[in-house]
Amino acid sequence: MKLRLVTLAGTKLDEDVYEVILPTADGEIAVFPDHEPIVTVAVPGVISVRRKPTDSDDLLEVYAVTGGVIEIDAQTISVLVDDADHSSEITEAEAKEALDRALKLQNSATNQIELEKAHQLVDRHMVRLKVADLHRRHRRG
Amino acid sequence: MASTRQLKSRIRSVGSTKQITKAMQMVAASKMRRAQDATKASTPYSRVASEILTHLASQGATKNHPLFTETTVKSRLYIVITSDKGLAGAYNANVLKAYLAELRADEAKSISNHTIAVGRKASQFAVRLKHTSLRGTYENLPDQPTGAEISAIISAAYDLFVSGEVDAVDLIYTEFVSSMTQIPRVHRILPAGWTPTEVRQSIRDAQYEPNMELVLESVVRRLVESQLYQALLDARASEHSMRMIAMKNATDNASDLVDDLTLEMNKARQAAITQELAEISGGAEAMK
Repeated sequence: MKLRLVTLAGTKLDEDVYEVILPTADGEIAVFPDHEPIVTVAVPGVISVRRKPTDSDDLLEVYAVTGGVIEIDAQTISVLVDDADHSSEITEAEAKEALDRALKLQNSATNQIELEKAHQLVDRHMVRLKVADLHRRHRRG
Repeated sequence: MASTRQLKSRIRSVGSTKQITKAMQMVAASKMRRAQDATKASTPYSRVASEILTHLASQGATKNHPLFTETTVKSRLYIVITSDKGLAGAYNANVLKAYLAELRADEAKSISNHTIAVGRKASQFAVRLKHTSLRGTYENLPDQPTGAEISAIISAAYDLFVSGEVDAVDLIYTEFVSSMTQIPRVHRILPAGWTPTEVRQSIRDAQYEPNMELVLESVVRRLVESQLYQALLDARASEHSMRMIAMKNATDNASDLVDDLTLEMNKARQAAITQELAEISGGAEAMK
């Protein structure tokens, strides 16, 4: 099964994988080969990729993604998102700092629009922090 | 005639200006190449989005949908893309001229309009205009904008469109045709249009979750974002290519100027020597 992770800046990943766990509007779904065709909405969250059936959970590769669209058919998964960061591209300290900044922004928002934007930022950096955390744990394990 | 010493210092100063313009030319050339490569990288994104949209349209989901319905335009939103810095030939002037032409046309038809300025030159320009309300400015975007920046700009435009405050959203940017030709363009992004693409057999009977409506909205947003991204990259490539040519002209001019000044300096020096000799021989003649 092929996974294509496409962002605005180009194709991030285009490889054969065994299992993919995707964050959708209805909750997380795990997709294996020969899945029935579905088109669904991606929400900001974590995409986990298992390359071989024998890989343990520690070997899962994780990406932090923003919202987007997911198209699944029997042999391909296309994920369209604004941004996708591989866990190795995120440092925990930097993600933590960005989250703090976003939270501060959320508290100081004076109108609905600013608040909405701050919410989005908070969501995004929460996800990034989570991914950075997963990355650290996997390396240790 | 200027003295040899004055000419010498002018040659030196023109020479160092030439070094600077030459360096700017080289930098612009390499940045242009990078921007061109990035343009190619974003095509898979819009292709997948168009495919899903074509499929949804074939199921009738786009019919009478507010994001696709063209109404009589009473109010427009412009997203004007220029550079932050000058010294790029007619780059900014061309875009702003196209923008001004649109504003004039709107005034004639009494259409009200709003503007989002991307780039310092656009915001400096738009802030002085009386007939448009400035809804946001974005300056110092990185050479390769990320999803976060694109999404911020599109959110602002999207909200205005959905709330009905504007009936159409247009991009005004410079299309990069080749390194020699760049044309200012006005491109409508909302109501959404797309190029129908072939839909793969495998997704024809796909299910939509949670429902078609939500998927459609999300896809349209991606498509509009990818159009803005493409326009930003095009504008960036055009900017660098025009700056490269402007700086090449400046370097050539400086070279010519150095040549002229050197000739003049040599003439002045020779004139001084000739005069001195004439004075000496004149003096010797008088002693006899």
